[in-house]
Amino acid sequence: MTTVPTSSRDQAPGEPPPEAPEQPPEPGRGRRSPLAKREGRVAYLFLAPWFIGMVVVTIGPILASLYLSFTEYSLLQPPEWLGLENYRRMLEDERLHTALRVTFTYVLVSVPLQLALALALAFFLDRGVRGLSVYRSVYYLPSLLGGSVAIAILWRQIFGTEGLINQLLGLVGIEGQGWVSHPDHALSTLIVLNVWTFGAPMVIFLAGLRQIPAMYYEAAEVDGAGGFTKFWRITVPLLTPIIFFNLVLQIIGSFQTFTQAFIVSGGTGGPADSTLFYTLYTYQRGFGSFEMGYASALAWVLLIIIAGFTAVNFLAAKRWVHYGD
Amino acid sequence: MSGRPRRTSLAGVLAVALLAASCGGGGDGGGDGDAAGSDEQVTLRFAWWGSDERRELTEAAIAAFEEQHPDIDVQGEYIEWSGYWDRLATQVAAGDAPDVITQEERFLREYAGRGALLDLSEYEDTIDLSQLDPLVTGSGEVDGGLFGVPSGVNAYVVYANPELFAQAGVDLPDDTTWTWDDYIRIANEITAATAGEVFGAMDYGGNEAGLKILARQHGQEMYDANGELAFDPATLAQWWEYSLQLRDGGGAPQATMSAEQQDTGSPEQTLLGTNRAAMAWYWSNTLAALSGASGTELQLLRPPGEHERERTGNYYKPAMHYSVSARTAHPEEAAMLVDFLLNDPAAIDAIRSDRGLPANLEQRERILADLDEHQVAEAEYLDEIQEDVVDAPPAPPIGAGQVVDIIKRLNIEVLFDRLSPDEAAEQFISEVEAATG
Repeated sequence: MTTVPTSSRDQAPGEPPPEAPEQPPEPGRGRRSPLAKREGRVAYLFLAPWFIGMVVVTIGPILASLYLSFTEYSLLQPPEWLGLENYRRMLEDERLHTALRVTFTYVLVSVPLQLALALALAFFLDRGVRGLSVYRSVYYLPSLLGGSVAIAILWRQIFGTEGLINQLLGLVGIEGQGWVSHPDHALSTLIVLNVWTFGAPMVIFLAGLRQIPAMYYEAAEVDGAGGFTKFWRITVPLLTPIIFFNLVLQIIGSFQTFTQAFIVSGGTGGPADSTLFYTLYTYQRGFGSFEMGYASALAWVLLIIIAGFTAVNFLAAKRWVHYGD
Repeated sequence: MSGRPRRTSLAGVLAVALLAASCGGGGDGGGDGDAAGSDEQVTLRFAWWGSDERRELTEAAIAAFEEQHPDIDVQGEYIEWSGYWDRLATQVAAGDAPDVITQEERFLREYAGRGALLDLSEYEDTIDLSQLDPLVTGSGEVDGGLFGVPSGVNAYVVYANPELFAQAGVDLPDDTTWTWDDYIRIANEITAATAGEVFGAMDYGGNEAGLKILARQHGQEMYDANGELAFDPATLAQWWEYSLQLRDGGGAPQATMSAEQQDTGSPEQTLLGTNRAAMAWYWSNTLAALSGASGTELQLLRPPGEHERERTGNYYKPAMHYSVSARTAHPEEAAMLVDFLLNDPAAIDAIRSDRGLPANLEQRERILADLDEHQVAEAEYLDEIQEDVVDAPPAPPIGAGQVVDIIKRLNIEVLFDRLSPDEAAEQFISEVEAATG
């Protein structure tokens, strides 16, 4: 046994390090008993539904889309090989550049706002609010609903020219404008919608906060630390793995936003392409103008973008994420 | 030792087979559809877009068809216009296209040119074309084949709500002489007279049918016979200039509301349908739906400027086409349904002029006698404009379906002053050339 301290990288903080379990004595590999063989077969049988599903609805289409991304494919006729033409075309596709700008703005603005709100609320709920479970459920609810068609329709109404927001503004004498139908404001309403679904990261933060042992705070208090110092020096560092987890998840999710933009803009990405999310543009190319080859190439580029963001996240994490020892 | 390799290879074969199935799906649909001619029950799927009223009328026609053909079961699939094309593209791509598909001229060539539709000229024994209006039957021909048969005839109309005109104290114009400037002036007057309670007109800058009429009035065309854009950019700039005059004069709503209206799927929910705009541009076959929604007897006016410039611009358009999927398992039965919808008195009695005034001239003549008031007004309008209709515009090229969204988007850019009419016109031309090239 070496004495190198092994940091338990993949563990939630506060969890006791797992005892390395002694492997049960394994039967020799070559000579398996008939029972073990039968069990093996049964295991494969049970795996089959998953395996078939994986191949048919995930791996197959993914590989097919990779092939299609090098072709011109109108959906109605067999694909024709184009080589890298689809990828070259992206460089001069101005609507794609608009879509990238819209999507990056959305991700870079809404994710930090959403996580900050989630952390703030989790922090206050953790202070021992009476009826915690009620609040937790109430705040969590938007996360369940946020991606749904119904909420997107509701959003369209609320932020419409004659919607709730403008009626409220009217009460105080301000004449509002149509928010979702104005090119300068439509994206903001979708960012608000995403921030509003802070419940899922909040619940995870809450669980993380619960894991921080009270003794740290007690020790800090003895040393005379105030509320802010405790938050900044104890809560945040011990919570960084959770923040990191939420960050990665929310960034990936936000890049893939589709439903809200599709419904709020009626599938157009409008007004004037102001909500033309990357996924929505991909959809328009594929199903609106029968360019499934180009749409497949777009999908692969999105995958690369998301993978790139995630990789950068993980690299940067080495500098700021502290895993409890 | 025997169990393991076999399992592996079985799994491998399974994977390959599934991959092949998932990649090559739709290569040959309908292997099980050879039941034509036998007594077996046949199920046909029939897709259309439109309002709830159209659903009722069409289902009545379907019921009559099923009564005549007890061995055929027809299932209707309907959705509003904006969702229709997304769904159809997805279904066709998945090899799950409906058997009888309603088409529109801007999309017909797209589908026909790519082999998704059946050449109906091979089914002329089943589909009787002899009675159809020759003015529109040619519109379903693509590359020498017949891929769609027009259901009926339509024309573009400026609908006017006489009660709102009266409320504003503005007289209805003489639509045989009114100019574009009259149109804008009247719209602005109505808004001003009602203190903004009623808008004079709905914004129409996002609909290429009106542009087509304006271009023709200038002696130009939206597309020429080769499918190339054939109008002066200045004409399109003028088209949007009119929109801005309406917006700035108050005749049309401010940009945000027009942007919302533009995406409103069904005519019944628009400003015209809800009695908040006195004029709007629509196809003549929406009269019943719009009048029903507004509760007013709407008037049909000819487009402005028909005698202002070089020539008249109005034209007859095939309202929609009936087409059959190339992959249908029951081509014969599908052709029977198309024939029924076009020619059978029972179908015409049920659908009447909802899909345009019937293309079948004999049936059109027959039902003119007992149309309801909406349909009479519509028929009279189509009859009146006959003196204005010089010729039919050439069929739009492949890719014209995308223009629906392009012109809407650029219209918003203009309404929000993000592009000048001239800039928007240039961009329109370059985008449409890319889409149809």
